[in-house]
Amino acid sequence: MEGIKTGFKNFDELTNGLDYRKVYSIFGNKESGKEQFIYKVVQSALSSKNAIVYVLTSKSYSDLINEFNSRGININPYLGEDFKILDDFSRTNSPSATDNSYAKILNGPLDLTGLSVSLSSANSDFVKDAKPVINIFDNLSNLLIYNNPVTVYRFLQFVCGKAKLAGITTLFSIDIAMHPPEVIETIKNLSDAIIDLKLEEGKRYFRLSGTSKEVLEFKELE
Amino acid sequence: MAEFKGLDGVSDKDFDPYFGIARLDEQLKGIPSKKIVLISASPSVGNEVFGYQIIHKNITSGVKVLVFLNRTSPQSYLTDMKEYDFPANDNLFIIDAYSGITGIKSDETDHIKVISNPYDKEEVKTKVIKEIGNGYGLFVIDSFSLLADFFDFSFAASFMNDIKQEIINKDSAAVLLFTDWGYEKQNVDKLLSNVNSTIEVKGIEKRVIFGQYFAVLKCDWVEEKQQTFSSVLFKAIKPGGIKVYFPKILVTGPTDAGKSSFIHSASKNAVSVDKLGGTIALDHGTVDFQGYRADLFGTPGQERFDPLLKMLGGEAIGVFLVVDSTKPEQFPRAVEMLRKTETYGLPVVVIANKADLNGALKKEEIREKLHLDSAITLVQTVAEDLSKVDPNEPTKLKEAGINEALSALFKQLT
Repeated sequence: MEGIKTGFKNFDELTNGLDYRKVYSIFGNKESGKEQFIYKVVQSALSSKNAIVYVLTSKSYSDLINEFNSRGININPYLGEDFKILDDFSRTNSPSATDNSYAKILNGPLDLTGLSVSLSSANSDFVKDAKPVINIFDNLSNLLIYNNPVTVYRFLQFVCGKAKLAGITTLFSIDIAMHPPEVIETIKNLSDAIIDLKLEEGKRYFRLSGTSKEVLEFKELE
Repeated sequence: MAEFKGLDGVSDKDFDPYFGIARLDEQLKGIPSKKIVLISASPSVGNEVFGYQIIHKNITSGVKVLVFLNRTSPQSYLTDMKEYDFPANDNLFIIDAYSGITGIKSDETDHIKVISNPYDKEEVKTKVIKEIGNGYGLFVIDSFSLLADFFDFSFAASFMNDIKQEIINKDSAAVLLFTDWGYEKQNVDKLLSNVNSTIEVKGIEKRVIFGQYFAVLKCDWVEEKQQTFSSVLFKAIKPGGIKVYFPKILVTGPTDAGKSSFIHSASKNAVSVDKLGGTIALDHGTVDFQGYRADLFGTPGQERFDPLLKMLGGEAIGVFLVVDSTKPEQFPRAVEMLRKTETYGLPVVVIANKADLNGALKKEEIREKLHLDSAITLVQTVAEDLSKVDPNEPTKLKEAGINEALSALFKQLT
């Protein structure tokens, strides 16, 4: 089966895109371009009729939409239709923020039950509409900082297991500089495939392991 | 004092405080003092709405409620409660064990007590026990699993013992909200063995969730021979909270008896597929009544649609059989329709509509002519305003009859 195109020409040619129903971790440091990578995947996946649940832990949904718009990605037609945001950030600053048709406001990083319930209901809605679904966690680092890491592992095991049963693809982004090596190692073990991103001399590179078409040496991302 | 009004009204055996949740209060008659209830939920269903509803039921009945909150900020919590139509009042007190984690300053008020360092076991324990000591009717922890995650299960167990001691001293009761993330069984079992009642909240799920249910797994204050606990389907509705849910109740009966009128009068959002007043495909309406929610499906009455009846009756769990009190000649047809929908033998309530019209038969006459068993409830209904009856539109029926019918059938279904 054709994978999900990321919108990066050489990535898609070399890897065949992202495999459906796999769990991907995207590792990189602050400048590695994790967000840019994810935004492009969102654009490409939505235009090929996938549905996306976007879990946001470090900015508000309105900031996310602004980021898309400032990059020339027209997200508006997809909002509430194929693109739903679970905003786990807004209430940190404005506790009385409430839901709208495309963004569900959650109770912050410690309420993993709330996140899991909302994720499960958003996924059910899309799956019932017979849409292929991608869950994106932008990012996992914030959940790992506030919670006991073991709690987050249990949470990931639960939501990834359920996603697989429902045929859903999962993407996490993690800032490698923010966590001790044993945390990174465990997250790797919980994932099917790893995408490493890095910035070097003004260029961005990727490598991919854990899929049928691996790219084990860093290649330029273009 | 809290007042519990189930389908049967108030019973003298009711305890205080209450769940405020249909079926739970009927099965357990509230939460007696000195008892701890643990509500254990699957992570894809959650139990926070149970918490909101229990808190709201009690604070609005004059019970002082203390909530230990580590899942989110008090402000977010109150916003969430309000969205379910459970606004806070002066009887609600919160111990904030969240703000200290995020580093966002929280000011202590009369109603919000702050734990300055939620990572400090001793501070958590001391402050909570001291506060329970100030005298509350109910103490809620949201969330107890997060507390176990934060520290460990041995702390959670010893903390539970301290809480138990203190609520016994103070004649209080406690509800602990717990999400079961797949912890080690022995840890969970140890916690469960120490509570007086366990309620499980789960989803019916394969690829997607297609139902949610709760079930009382254990309760040490209901006599064993009265423990007829079963799984109860529910929906969490925003606003509205937890409603016990009956997915399909059939409304059938002869042509023009008043099936559509019944559905439209009982529900708030009924739709009909009809032609000049007669239902030719189906009616559907959703009913909310006394903490219950039911989906009503109506059948057409004309015989030419009989081939559809079996299909429409499939999966129904109860039936309203609507007859026209002035047309006994249609009664055999009514019984035939129960057979054709294959719902004969299901819990049924007979609705004798148009009971105030000239020529309407009396209750006993209808019973006799329908050969009704004495155990079957017959309820009379009448139009709210006869001058407004339009043969092409469903007629609005008086609420008293509607409520009597709903209450009678729901009681049989629970």
